[in-house]
Amino acid sequence: MKLKYRIIPQGAADGMVPLNWVFIDKKDVKECGLTDLEACYAVGKALGDDCAAVDIIDMDAVTVTSDGIMAPGAVVGVASVDHGLINQNYGYLNISPLPYSDQMIKEEPHMKQWLMDEYKGRPLHRGPSAEDRGNRGPNNENMTMTGRIANNNCGSEVMNMVEMTEILAPYFGIHEIMTDGEVTIGIAGPVVSVGIGMVVSERHGRIFGGKNLGAYRAGMSAHNSGKYAKTVKQDYPAIAAPKSVLAEHTLRAFDIGLVAGRDIGCSPAVLSLAKAYGKPIDLDNITERAWIELESIGITREKLEAPSNVMSREEVIAHADEIIPGMDGAKKYAVSDICEVRYVEI
Amino acid sequence: MKLMHTRLPDFYTKIEAAAKQNDPNMGFSVSGLENVKTAKLASLRVGRVEDEITEIIEDKDIKKVEVVLATENPETLYTVIIKGIEEDGTCKKIILENMMLSAPTVETHLFGVKEIIDRRANIKK
Repeated sequence: MKLKYRIIPQGAADGMVPLNWVFIDKKDVKECGLTDLEACYAVGKALGDDCAAVDIIDMDAVTVTSDGIMAPGAVVGVASVDHGLINQNYGYLNISPLPYSDQMIKEEPHMKQWLMDEYKGRPLHRGPSAEDRGNRGPNNENMTMTGRIANNNCGSEVMNMVEMTEILAPYFGIHEIMTDGEVTIGIAGPVVSVGIGMVVSERHGRIFGGKNLGAYRAGMSAHNSGKYAKTVKQDYPAIAAPKSVLAEHTLRAFDIGLVAGRDIGCSPAVLSLAKAYGKPIDLDNITERAWIELESIGITREKLEAPSNVMSREEVIAHADEIIPGMDGAKKYAVSDICEVRYVEI
Repeated sequence: MKLMHTRLPDFYTKIEAAAKQNDPNMGFSVSGLENVKTAKLASLRVGRVEDEITEIIEDKDIKKVEVVLATENPETLYTVIIKGIEEDGTCKKIILENMMLSAPTVETHLFGVKEIIDRRANIKK
């Protein structure tokens, strides 16, 4: 029996990808009768003396981006492998499903998206439970580490700690990889650098929040770095979905009445889409510290309040590339051009 | 016993002595605590390390002992102390901040090694 896995090898996308990144479909793991951890070991062994970050994706589940947009599919396990090894305490992280509760919907208004027809009833995975985190201490991030490789924020930021390289993939980029779609790869730049910090507050979130709600709510910046926020992640390469995909899912959140800057994060993408789609933005709920970061990349209250033409859903999606500010010098790739499908004998 | 602790300079002296107890020409190096100037180390662990060095040098093929101290948790939390110093050297203001640091894990030392004996306590195995 063979386990199928996808790998974006180091050097892919005209040299932009600095390390191996492996994606395994949970369905393929189950078909082989393996646990997720066993699947990571199998891939690690197949890579020999090489190293990789590994994400396991359940395409039947749902997840949430850090700025609060619900997405189909979810990262359900992450690992760092090097020379076939996985660190016993820090090398693997399971991400258990989170149960539905009325309290969640009340405290985390963006989770109303889970009640939409297309997502209702699907298991939700965001961040790990206390049990998933194992021996990790309160100050450990949701990260795996083995040898040279770290895989952070539940499989969206991966690094080589010896070469000190890194690449990011916002979740919709991972979804494109799993569905053989199209990705945009470029240098994150100032806009994405600021946007990554505009999160929502959750319990057991991808990045923040455990037993208690994450301290940074919609309208705040988790970076809280003032004029430096636009520089903190600007130099890293990133793998993103086409902007039309991001637009389509974000508009769904607006369609059920969620408000930018109040119910979902105040990232440049969310604000730009709300403006174009003529949906309300809770400008007063955006904190002074978040405004400093937004203004540093040219997004001001004045511009958001200025009258503008409201577009239809179809128009916003068609013009997403012009509406959503994004990466610097990004190039589009068919996933099949950067990602190899490989098999390892079990 | 658990409360007894060894001075950092004594630790260095003791482990080098253990490495060279049979052969003064045995190679020796210790690394990992370069930024730590003063510290106390758990005495019982110092004794165990001395005993383990003794075990390592029993093998006649061994010509050098390298002792590396790495953090058990590879993602360490530091406190950043940002000091504002006046002309006369007085510290007038300090801002404290956190810094998480993720470093290569112990596995980077293990690749291709024939025999690894793990005697660490409190490690999930």
